[in-house]
Amino acid sequence: MADTVILPETQELTATDTPWNVIVYDDPVNLMGYVTWVIMKIFGYDESHASVLMMQVHQNGRSIVWSGEKEKAEFYVQQLQAHQLKSSFEKAE
Amino acid sequence: MKAMPTLEGGLRLDTEDPSDWELLRAVIADAHVSTTEDLANRMGNLITEEAGAEDWEEYIVPDLREGFQDELAEVGAAIESAIVEADGQAGPIWITPENAYPWYSALNQARLALEEQFKFGPSEELGVETLSPVRAAAFLRSKFYCAIQSLLLEYVMK
Repeated sequence: MADTVILPETQELTATDTPWNVIVYDDPVNLMGYVTWVIMKIFGYDESHASVLMMQVHQNGRSIVWSGEKEKAEFYVQQLQAHQLKSSFEKAE
Repeated sequence: MKAMPTLEGGLRLDTEDPSDWELLRAVIADAHVSTTEDLANRMGNLITEEAGAEDWEEYIVPDLREGFQDELAEVGAAIESAIVEADGQAGPIWITPENAYPWYSALNQARLALEEQFKFGPSEELGVETLSPVRAAAFLRSKFYCAIQSLLLEYVMK
């Protein structure tokens, strides 16, 4: 009878980067139509989705408009700031 | 001053008096006024240490600043060129679809700088009769810039 070999239990860990959130903040200057236009232009969202995000900015003071890898978040925030929207990116909780 | 959409998809502004040109020149002057930091720096201040604020200030802020200045320079040159064309008298200035965004940006920079300086807040809550003459003039300029921006958004950029 063959000896039974008990293999140690292994656990595979998959390293996943914590996503980063791109945030747009409200301000008293930028027009609602412009905020919608910029979000559509930069992220390629349709008008209804961009309008929902714009209303979150207007009503809640901020909105998470995109989540994903850090390099892309940096790029998007640079684009948003170049369009003069108050924006930043932070690690998702 | 009158504003109307053009058949080519742009916007035409007609000054009705030579002094109207000063109102357009004020866009550039207002955009350059800042109490403490310029627009690019104020944008950069929103980036946290964790997100890389130091690198942002070193690499991104100068690019943003250059972009904002280029847009102001383009609009400033268009205004001066229109004044020369009109021989300093009342005359038109055209905003084509191709240069609508630099115009929108210049007007926005002016409004952001005025807001930074005067802290008007949401304009519907403000009564112009309660403001000092300097603040009232700045507020009315900001409203004028906002009106042109609304026309650009409605007739040219969308």
